[in-house]
Amino acid sequence: MSQFPFGAFGRSWPLSLKVPFLVAALMLIISATISDRVLSRLGQTQEVQLQQLASTYLDGLSSSMLPSVVRDDVWEVFDILDQSRNQYEGVNVHWTIVANQNGSIVASSDPVQFPSQSDIPQKFVSRFQTDQFMNIDKVGGTALLHRVLTYQGKQIGQIVAEIDIGKLLAERNSVFWTLIATNSLLTLLLALAGFALVRRMLRPVTVLAEHFETSTQSAMAAIEPDVIAKQSAEFRKLFNRFNELALAIGERETLAIQLAEEEKVASLGRLASGMAHEINNPLGGMFNALDALKNHGTNLDVRSRSIRLIDNGLRGIRDLVRSTLTSYRADRSHRNLTANDLDDLRLLIKPEARERGLHLQWNVTSFETSAIGAVPVRDAVLNLLINACRASPEGREVGFDACMEGEVFIAEISDSGPGLPSNILEYIERKGAGSAPLDNRSGLGLWIVKRLCDEMNGTLSIVKSNETGTIIRLQVSSKILEKRDAA
Amino acid sequence: MDNENNRRSFLVVSGMTILATALPVRAQPRPVQFGLTPVFLTNDVELLSKLSSYLSRAVGHEVQLVQRRTYEEITTLLLSGQLDAAWICGFPFAQYLQKLSIVAVPLWRHKPLYQSYLIVPNNRDVTSIDDLRGDIHAFSDPNSNSGYLVTAALLAERKLRPDQFFKKTIFTYGHRNVVRAVASGLAQSGSVDGYVWDVMSQLEPDLTVKTKIIRKSEELGFPPVACLRSQSTSENVRLIQTALLEMKSDPEGQDVLKLLKLDGFETEPESLYNAIVVKMELVRGLGT
Repeated sequence: MSQFPFGAFGRSWPLSLKVPFLVAALMLIISATISDRVLSRLGQTQEVQLQQLASTYLDGLSSSMLPSVVRDDVWEVFDILDQSRNQYEGVNVHWTIVANQNGSIVASSDPVQFPSQSDIPQKFVSRFQTDQFMNIDKVGGTALLHRVLTYQGKQIGQIVAEIDIGKLLAERNSVFWTLIATNSLLTLLLALAGFALVRRMLRPVTVLAEHFETSTQSAMAAIEPDVIAKQSAEFRKLFNRFNELALAIGERETLAIQLAEEEKVASLGRLASGMAHEINNPLGGMFNALDALKNHGTNLDVRSRSIRLIDNGLRGIRDLVRSTLTSYRADRSHRNLTANDLDDLRLLIKPEARERGLHLQWNVTSFETSAIGAVPVRDAVLNLLINACRASPEGREVGFDACMEGEVFIAEISDSGPGLPSNILEYIERKGAGSAPLDNRSGLGLWIVKRLCDEMNGTLSIVKSNETGTIIRLQVSSKILEKRDAA
Repeated sequence: MDNENNRRSFLVVSGMTILATALPVRAQPRPVQFGLTPVFLTNDVELLSKLSSYLSRAVGHEVQLVQRRTYEEITTLLLSGQLDAAWICGFPFAQYLQKLSIVAVPLWRHKPLYQSYLIVPNNRDVTSIDDLRGDIHAFSDPNSNSGYLVTAALLAERKLRPDQFFKKTIFTYGHRNVVRAVASGLAQSGSVDGYVWDVMSQLEPDLTVKTKIIRKSEELGFPPVACLRSQSTSENVRLIQTALLEMKSDPEGQDVLKLLKLDGFETEPESLYNAIVVKMELVRGLGT
């Protein structure tokens, strides 16, 4: 069920519009309810008044004309009806018919329309039930009255009269439109006042929202003191709290960056150590080969084997130096991701894997040059690979699978570790989590990955994480990058 | 109709007998009792006030105006001696010609004569009484000459009674009411006093314009002021007669005549009502 009463409509509206709209809607409902009650009450009152008036009219006529109806005295009945026009001026009688017990008209106030001695029209009589004496025709603006005349317990005739209730209906109509106009005006005024008031009340909230919004783009900025000074005590307190929060987050971020830098230096140290180790191994072989050359250089077989060993060693060193230069050169300008970059990653992680006695499962398929930036992808994957190596027990496997599916680069890094803790799982999959590191130092590498991923508009997801290992997937689309570059 | 008149005669005579035996001899002169029938235009308060005022002054002591709804009631009071004089219609006078005597007769357009009109709604296309068959017809009073007898006599000439000729007859007990009934459409035709209709056409043209005259009767004797023949020489009757005859020369009397749209009062012979007697006999001859 939607939280907003109007469903999806208005859900995106700002609070400063939504609240006055709701106020106006409530006013309309209240106004309609009140109008309905007033009109209903007015209608009932009018009907009661009309019934009393009609009853008085019929009572007056009945009592004055009973003897005349008994005698079937046409003139007397007519004269009474004629005189009653002035007597009952307020009743607005259209016509009145007086008939005898046979239904024959004795006299009517309109003898041309209802001549004496003609039958009373059944269409009038049939409209009345036994206990009913008034029948209202709202469309025609008339009410039909009926009264049975009894004399000494015997029915001697009946009176049927039509009265004009147009004035009553017009009055009701007038009240209706006055109510509509007044209520509409009041509702409009209250809605406008509500709009202005709520907007004014919500202005500090808007300021707060704007500051929170900018914090997703850059560092959280504190609210200016002059803005705080203008607020009420309640919002001044809130703004000060916000500034304290912004300051704390800023400090934390600075600290995180410092930690990241330290981590980078530490990584560099480890990398340098690894590189030294990598260089040292062939170097030892090459010195051995050089000693062999010195001592047995004349021996053709020894010479050629030593030269090959030196050559292999030097090539290995050259490749290592080259890939290191490619990875860590100061120039961070955009360069497309190539298959060589992925091969370099293998070279770079190999020392770490070897140190931990891990087997690298490297699988790169259907990969050609992509428009995706090479440097952030390499940094992100390298960090994930380093984490995978650290998580996996000695002698187990670390895997790397990469491919291109259309415009999307997909890389899956797997380890044989015990699975990720829930806070890291949540951190990896939470959008925008890259704006801050995890709360312990071990999450710094992951934070860097998240930041790089956010920069590339890529996604980081968990394919698997249990006691047998973890698979993390990185997806980056070249299209998004192109759009961002174009912008 | 004969039965009805016989019944009325019986009631009048019975009433007279009872009253003659029951009423004590008056010790003091009582106020003059003057009866009025609905021959008048309306029960105008101003007219009654001025008439009462003039008569009281002219007679020299209080004159009480006695009004009733029907001609019959006034006629009964007159015949029973409870009234000194009464302004009745020519028809009751003709009915009780032997018992009643003329005190004075009004002059309408300088003559003691008037007519009966047959009227219909203005938009109705009829020209004679024969076109009115099957109507609801409005009469003024069963004892009115112009408002009943003239039309009844006209039908009697055709050997018809009103209830045979008309679908229904209604009595409105006032000439003005006859005009109202026809103008409103309650009645499709009516018999009305020509004097009343003519005066109404000046005073209430909105009402009379909705009606039209399709027949005017011959000129007949104007409704007279009558008294009991036995009291014709009494002081009160003489005083009333003098007051009425001198009305046209008295400023207050002239005001009354102006309101009545009459020219004055004169003494006239009883033969003035012979034509009405003939009509009465004609109607009686038809039976019921």
